[in-house]
Amino acid sequence: MSFWPIAVLELYPVFSWLHDLLASIGLPSAWLQPLIYLLLGAMIFGILSLIALFLVWWERKIAAHIQQRFGPMRHGWHGWYQTIMDAVKLLQKEDIRVVTRDKVVFFWAPVICFVAAFLAYVVMPWGDGLIVADLNIGILYILAVTTFTVISLLMAGWGSNNKYALLGGMRSAAQVVSYEVPMVVSILTVIIFVGSLSMVDIVKSQSGLLFNWYIFRFPFGPIAFITYLIAATAEVNRTPFDIPEAEQELVSGYNVEYSGMKFAMFFLAEFVNMFTVSAIAATLFLGGWNGWEFIPSWIWFLFKTLLIVLLLMLFRWTYPRLRVDQLMEFAWKFLIPVTFANLIVAGIFKYLGWYW
Amino acid sequence: MSSMDITFPAFDLRFMAPEIFLFLWALFVFAYDVTSKRKSSTAAGYLAMLGLMIAGAILAYTNYGQGYGSMFLFEPAAKFFKIIFLGSAFMAIGSSFGITKERIINHRGEFFGLILLSTVGMMFLSSSNELLSLYIGLELTTIPLFVLASFFKDNKLSVEAGIKYFIVGAFSSALLVYGMSFLYGLSGTTDLVQMKINIAMTHLTFKEIGVILVLANVLIIAGLGFKLSLPPFHQWAPDVYEGSPTPIAAFLSVGSKAAGLIAFAKIFVNGLYAFNGPEMAPNDWGILVGILACAAMILGNTVAIRQTNIKRMLAYSSIAQVGYIMIGMVTMNDLGIASVGFYIFAYMFANMGAFAIVAIFEERTGSCEIQSYAGLSHTSPVLATTFAVFLLSLAGIPPLAGFFAKFFVFASAIKMAQADATAGWLYWIVGVGLLTAVFSLYYYANIIKVMFFSKEASPYRVHYTFPSFGIVLIGIAGVIIFGLYPEPILKFASDISLSFGFLP
Amino acid sequence: MTESADIGIVFWVLSFVILVSAFMVVSLKNIFHCALFLIMCLFSVAGIFVLLDAEFLAAAQVLIYVGAVAILMIFAIMLTSNLASRKIRQVNENVSVGVFVSVLFALASIILIAQTHIWHYKTDFTPVENSIVILGKYLMIQYVLPFEVVSILLLASLIGAIVLARKERS
Repeated sequence: MSFWPIAVLELYPVFSWLHDLLASIGLPSAWLQPLIYLLLGAMIFGILSLIALFLVWWERKIAAHIQQRFGPMRHGWHGWYQTIMDAVKLLQKEDIRVVTRDKVVFFWAPVICFVAAFLAYVVMPWGDGLIVADLNIGILYILAVTTFTVISLLMAGWGSNNKYALLGGMRSAAQVVSYEVPMVVSILTVIIFVGSLSMVDIVKSQSGLLFNWYIFRFPFGPIAFITYLIAATAEVNRTPFDIPEAEQELVSGYNVEYSGMKFAMFFLAEFVNMFTVSAIAATLFLGGWNGWEFIPSWIWFLFKTLLIVLLLMLFRWTYPRLRVDQLMEFAWKFLIPVTFANLIVAGIFKYLGWYW
Repeated sequence: MSSMDITFPAFDLRFMAPEIFLFLWALFVFAYDVTSKRKSSTAAGYLAMLGLMIAGAILAYTNYGQGYGSMFLFEPAAKFFKIIFLGSAFMAIGSSFGITKERIINHRGEFFGLILLSTVGMMFLSSSNELLSLYIGLELTTIPLFVLASFFKDNKLSVEAGIKYFIVGAFSSALLVYGMSFLYGLSGTTDLVQMKINIAMTHLTFKEIGVILVLANVLIIAGLGFKLSLPPFHQWAPDVYEGSPTPIAAFLSVGSKAAGLIAFAKIFVNGLYAFNGPEMAPNDWGILVGILACAAMILGNTVAIRQTNIKRMLAYSSIAQVGYIMIGMVTMNDLGIASVGFYIFAYMFANMGAFAIVAIFEERTGSCEIQSYAGLSHTSPVLATTFAVFLLSLAGIPPLAGFFAKFFVFASAIKMAQADATAGWLYWIVGVGLLTAVFSLYYYANIIKVMFFSKEASPYRVHYTFPSFGIVLIGIAGVIIFGLYPEPILKFASDISLSFGFLP
Repeated sequence: MTESADIGIVFWVLSFVILVSAFMVVSLKNIFHCALFLIMCLFSVAGIFVLLDAEFLAAAQVLIYVGAVAILMIFAIMLTSNLASRKIRQVNENVSVGVFVSVLFALASIILIAQTHIWHYKTDFTPVENSIVILGKYLMIQYVLPFEVVSILLLASLIGAIVLARKERS
């Protein structure tokens, strides 16, 4: 029944304890593995929800400090549980449904968005041995499941039956499809050197400190990192590439008609997606869990990921938004040629063996 | 299956020099048209024709050999068909100068370049002896043709033709791939020669293989039947021919059809021929194709009589012609294959020439109706006479090349039927062929009657513009010379059978 | 519950979803819903690939068909104002002929395949571990010529699409 091996080496004692516990209360053995998978899923879901709540708070604080404000201050120390209160408020709010909506599409859009955001964590290496399933298609799997985010945005745009929402959905589709190409090509630049798509293999190939990481593999490493970061910013629809929800033009884009719980799902998924692309960048370019041995590997992973999240947040609050045509021109006329040239250079270096 | 045993097949790029040259030349034509300041209609077209001529010269000096394993074999059959592809592309481009002058303002380079790319696809296809490259060659052949068929973007008929051809082409490709997947599943290989052996081996232990083979055969016949416009898969052809630019209709009716024929021959003769014996799996695709060929001859020749539009008439005539060609295909011996080659060669000159005249006439008058040809012999006697010669060659009147083409096809079928007692059904097909050939004379002669025996002179006087009329002259030369002296081509065509494992 | 029984159930569920969603694609009146069902159909096909231990193919299927083709289709639907608002008929007067041919073909294939008793034959085929490496080697070594010809094909379709879609300056 094992489609893929479960590679939770460090968590193994916990799981065997759980397994024994569940077996001792008389559950049939056929149920045990699915149950453990379920628990694992719930665990990752909980951790990610906490991270997303933290990121919302963090973003508000950073935005406030950049703009010489304090941001949330009332709830706890520097308002640390502000977002928790916000979430509770959102869950209690009335679920406003537009009469002219497309019922089924309107309902499923936030659900698909929410699920798609979490699917990537099946193969995310949180630390040495902390991975749910080390698929041999790892990174490709992430790229595949994240495409559902776009579909959910399109569904939200269509289902709302609102011109702003529709425009937002269409813009996001155009943007994501365009920026997916440079993103994938930047990732391929790393894959050339790893020789495997598995996330664990990618991290293991950069074991050691600083100069074993792909960001420091000159000259193509830093270029690939920068192009990936730009494309990833566009993929998660953040400023300077946030035209799908440009407040001044589109009110707030695809989610303008959503409220309450459904809006919360979009909002949460957005931050989870930001964390996902940062985690991919940390895994691919910053050596994932690698670092000094005396610090646990998962702290390294979180630290590097949050560093890139910080970078994305700084982008958001310091750069102006691009216009639609500038955005497309930048992707097709600059980013794609650069990433392809970079890929070719990387291929030549690999062929000649000019790397360490 | 370890990753160790994946190796490069024997390869030598010299054997695919014509294809590589033509591809690079097509890029050159695109680049030239984009960069040239003067929007001249002729330069890109002449460049494309020059490229085809150079590719032909390279082809003449290329030796036979393995270009890339079984995916690229340069052999007599490939050479013969490549000459036909280059020739038909040359004649299509040559006859398209006038008609595109006013109707295609932008993208002239793309028009000619896409014809070249389609030709590259046909050439790859004719060299391939392997399912995957065969299919990709076929796709490279048809995809530029979808675009070319709808090149007159402001014309509803042309857009309709493009969409129709696109949908039919996509659908037929799907059928073809479905059939090919069965063949791959039965044999575990995409190499056609290896496939023959593997299926025979599997058949020893797994008798029911023949049933799936039937399914695969039907699917592939349907898929290629669309490309060849064999009834009942023919209905797109008249609409597409009518709507698309006339030279493209000509290219569709000769080049694309020859590509379908060589693909058919590769799959059925090279890949599946061995299973025709009584002790082998039941594989009676010959009879099935024979029935379709009869349907093509009957339907094409009878419906053509009722047409009032010359392009639709030529479309039905080309459906009928494919029926005659398929007689040679189902004959399945060295003579049959050689007669297929000779037929398509003669058909190229006659059909491309006829379409060239339709293009010249359409450029002058804007009409494709048969009635507007009335009295053409009074004002443009040369044009009317040449058109009559092409039509007579298509009908198969001696001593034109079309007569010998039909003669060889029927002769090979009768010879096969005499030699092999199980092939008696070939007599029936030949009978249908002879009868419908008489029918066909009616509508071909009808146009000649309209042109020559009309009392009133035509209001149009057609100018003999250079490249288009040059193509007409090439066609006339081909039809007459190869009619009077068919031996060299016949000898060349008989070499084709070497590629299919027959001894001439 | 054995392993093959598990996979069997998943297979039947996926097949059912594929068939139903494919039928929805060709029968629904709202073309946007058709596109969504097309996505569901293609995604379930990826599920079948996973069952066959072809994970790479599954990911490629989702990435290309769901991520690119279907999104572009939806994009085109949204851009075409007539399509987006109007309920369209999916059938025309030829529907009976089409149904007849389809049913005939389906019956013929079912009868033919049933004659082979193919389910009695078990293969000893074991899926390859890490099939991407082998797939890559096939593409870049043994089948590199068709692979390169595909690039010509893509170039031709790119040029063709631009020629057809571009607005003419007169």
